[in-house]
Amino acid sequence: MARARVEQHPATGMTLVVMVGLSIAFLLFIAFLNVVKSGDILSEANLLYAALVFYAGAGALYLGFGVTGTESYIKFASLATWAGLIANTAAVAHRWYEAGHPPFASLYEMLLSFVWTLAALTLIAEKRYAVKVIGTVTMPVAIVGVVLMQLLRSEVRPLVPALQSTWLHVHVTLAMLAYAACALSFALAMMFLIQDKLKTENFLAATSIFTVGIYASVLTRFEGWGGFNVIAWDAENKSEVFLAKNVRLFVTIPDLGWLMLLVFAAVIAPFTLYILTRVRKNDGFLAVANRAVFISILLQSLALVFFVIRVRDGRYSSLDAEGLYPTNLAASPFILSALVAGIFANLLYLLLLWRREDLERLLPDADTLDRITYKTICIAFPLLTLMIAAGAYWANRAWGSYWNWDPKETWAAITWLVYAGYLHMRITRGWRGRRAAYFAILGFGVVMFTFFGVTYLLNGLHSYA
Amino acid sequence: MALSLHSAIRKTWKTLSSIKTGVVLIILVVIFAIAGTIILQRPLTDPDEMTRAYSPAMLRFLDATGLTDVYHAHWFVALMLLVSLSIIAASVQRFPNAWRYFARPYKSPEEGFRRVLPIQAHLAITDEEQGLGAAERAFRHMHLKSERIVRPDRFSLFAERNRISEMAVYIVHASLLLFFLGYFVVDAFYGWRGFLMLSPGMASNQVEMKSGEIRSLPFSIRCDGSGEETYTDGTPKRWWSKLAVVDNGQEISRKEIVVNDPLVYHGVRFYQASFGRTGKLDRLVLNAIPRSGTGQAQEISLGPNQIVSLDADTKVQVAEFIPDFVVQGGHVYARSNDVVNPAVRLIVTSEKTNKVVNFWLPEIPGVAENASSPYNFEPKDLKTGVFTGLEVSHEPGQWAVWAGVILMAIGLTFVFYVVHVRFWVVPVQDASGNLALWIGGSANRNRDAFEQTFKRFVEQVEKELKPKFEEAAEKPAASLPKTTTAGR
Repeated sequence: MARARVEQHPATGMTLVVMVGLSIAFLLFIAFLNVVKSGDILSEANLLYAALVFYAGAGALYLGFGVTGTESYIKFASLATWAGLIANTAAVAHRWYEAGHPPFASLYEMLLSFVWTLAALTLIAEKRYAVKVIGTVTMPVAIVGVVLMQLLRSEVRPLVPALQSTWLHVHVTLAMLAYAACALSFALAMMFLIQDKLKTENFLAATSIFTVGIYASVLTRFEGWGGFNVIAWDAENKSEVFLAKNVRLFVTIPDLGWLMLLVFAAVIAPFTLYILTRVRKNDGFLAVANRAVFISILLQSLALVFFVIRVRDGRYSSLDAEGLYPTNLAASPFILSALVAGIFANLLYLLLLWRREDLERLLPDADTLDRITYKTICIAFPLLTLMIAAGAYWANRAWGSYWNWDPKETWAAITWLVYAGYLHMRITRGWRGRRAAYFAILGFGVVMFTFFGVTYLLNGLHSYA
Repeated sequence: MALSLHSAIRKTWKTLSSIKTGVVLIILVVIFAIAGTIILQRPLTDPDEMTRAYSPAMLRFLDATGLTDVYHAHWFVALMLLVSLSIIAASVQRFPNAWRYFARPYKSPEEGFRRVLPIQAHLAITDEEQGLGAAERAFRHMHLKSERIVRPDRFSLFAERNRISEMAVYIVHASLLLFFLGYFVVDAFYGWRGFLMLSPGMASNQVEMKSGEIRSLPFSIRCDGSGEETYTDGTPKRWWSKLAVVDNGQEISRKEIVVNDPLVYHGVRFYQASFGRTGKLDRLVLNAIPRSGTGQAQEISLGPNQIVSLDADTKVQVAEFIPDFVVQGGHVYARSNDVVNPAVRLIVTSEKTNKVVNFWLPEIPGVAENASSPYNFEPKDLKTGVFTGLEVSHEPGQWAVWAGVILMAIGLTFVFYVVHVRFWVVPVQDASGNLALWIGGSANRNRDAFEQTFKRFVEQVEKELKPKFEEAAEKPAASLPKTTTAGR
């Protein structure tokens, strides 16, 4: 079967590999020239750059595999992943050595460890469980992670007194493992839904709701006549500008709001068409909806590009203070991640739309996926429990109480309760299949909110990450 | 009447123990917990910030319903109590069944059970004893202890592993109850948290509670020193305090505490929570230069209320220290207690003339009489007083919580990773009268892995059956291996 496919596309079989290989070589060569000029070859930034290049190559090859189904790409893709992982490992080791503590203490360091774990898990899943397409999903995430890292504060910051504890490492390691297991169960539940013959248009609906949600949240920053509010950045202190405690200074970027509004209209179109399909019972709308997804991806990319250009380097006025204030992408990591995540989700949908049969052929069968999802949660749940317990014990030593109802704590408890609900339904009520898969997806949504949402939206004691 | 009351209780109990109630309660807890993270919470948030965030009517409503302090509201605690009751009811209702299962394992399977058991196998045997013996050897091979069950009408083997796994769920639920007991009962009624501020040299037993009331400890804490170390960029690196416990006038123990390493005495914990400057003078070092030009400049060190003689006639003392001064209408005022813009008023007195001069550092025009002082003073060093903020807590319930954590870790390990497996081996006769060995197995979780184990067991029994079988069938078979060795 695989060979047949390669023979079908004899011309494209090696072209992508050669192209990706050449781009990697070219990018590394350019970087090498720059490095030779500056001297320090094995700095963390360079290692990360190398990791980024390799991951990008791997991502391109995995995507190429996902789109064309050419299995020979996989070999080169995993080779590139290995190379990226080695560079990433060196970056982690370098960081650890420089900082004198494991890289868990800031969002930047967490991302560094997270990307490493993700790449390692990808290779394990591929080699050991033969889930080959997994790289198509995880590598783009890794790339986004490395790109985000370039924007965050990366200098080694000394640990504040509360973080000087062994329990930091215990707590964070457990959290990373638990969250990785939750992420895996989410991916497996999604694959289950594919194998369970959930209609492609339902994925369209889910992707659309997700994207509409993103742009609806983004548009809460819409200001006045087409402006768009972002947080001002203090380049000298490398921090956001505060008017008062916990009150950030927003500046308005003119006209960017209009673009966001336009994109909002574009992402709402596929959803409207989907609803029309359901209401009118006319499948003709679906083809239009799929085309609308394609257009929305283009517009979303445009929004991302303009957002990056306008925010990266600019001075804008504010409604709350006089004068012009600079902005920086580092002050808006939340919006940036949301925009990238939207594009990414829609691309995955397109992959499913165009290559569903290949995916179904490559993935394990539904029953197996259902079982592995449950098993992953069986691993995630005790880890979550221990993570919360370690956090409580540490809080008892640092803050004087084992439970403070801090937002992060509360949300961790909520995550725990959601998975506890899943386990009860599965074990005592015998929930299998779709309902269980939906529950696993909900659980991961809560995990993501606990990890990112609480940090950016709710203030609390747990202000490190 | 009595009957209806009885049935009402039964109904309540049944409702409480149902899984539906449990799920509804969990959803309620989740909703209110989320509300507590979105609505600003009282003790943590500034009252000013609350009034800024909500309209007065809204704030009144939130305060009245307890939504501004969700986790300590009576109804939230009541909800958690309901959750506990639901866990207890569910456990009590299901426990007898599980206990029967645990205490009186089903060892001798009847025909009806044998027919429907999903995992089973049949092996042909020639006589009962030979079959059971082979099975016993196979059990030993798998490190399982088997027992022979003799019933009037049947004769069989039974082996099992990890029966405790059937009880695991109750261990987990018991650990949850321990959490609730520790947090919502013991610590809610007997625990307290407060704050104690000490300056070096000071001792106190008066702890200020969150509510503002003062709690007197039966012993006092003395601070022997406190300090701060910072990184080169100014962020704090370490806060420390040297504390001593004084009980009945005697010093019991000493400890230098830092963040993450508290002092514990009689179940009361003292945490390094903050560190700061009091805005009061500790020591001022000055260069005193006589105006007459004959004397030598001398360095003097002044503490609060300390008088230093500069010569036989002149004395100097600190009259006032203002950490952050501002001048308005010919008067000097303190703007804050932060040492950002300090000023000091010295009194220089001459015994012979009884002349008193107010010397201000820095010189404040209109107020200072610096020119008429016999000495000029140059500031060299200023040390202001420090205080250490100690978080004080008494949480006897934490021991229940830690016990719960350990119990839960054990329980979850059993729930997810320890499987109760059972094997039965019964010699049976099939319809045509042939003797066979019926082998059945069951596992309470992870069935597919158990199927493999079961397959291995059946193969092992087959292997154990073979030599005997051959031996019984044809005597010379035993010499077969010998022949092969000889042939080599």
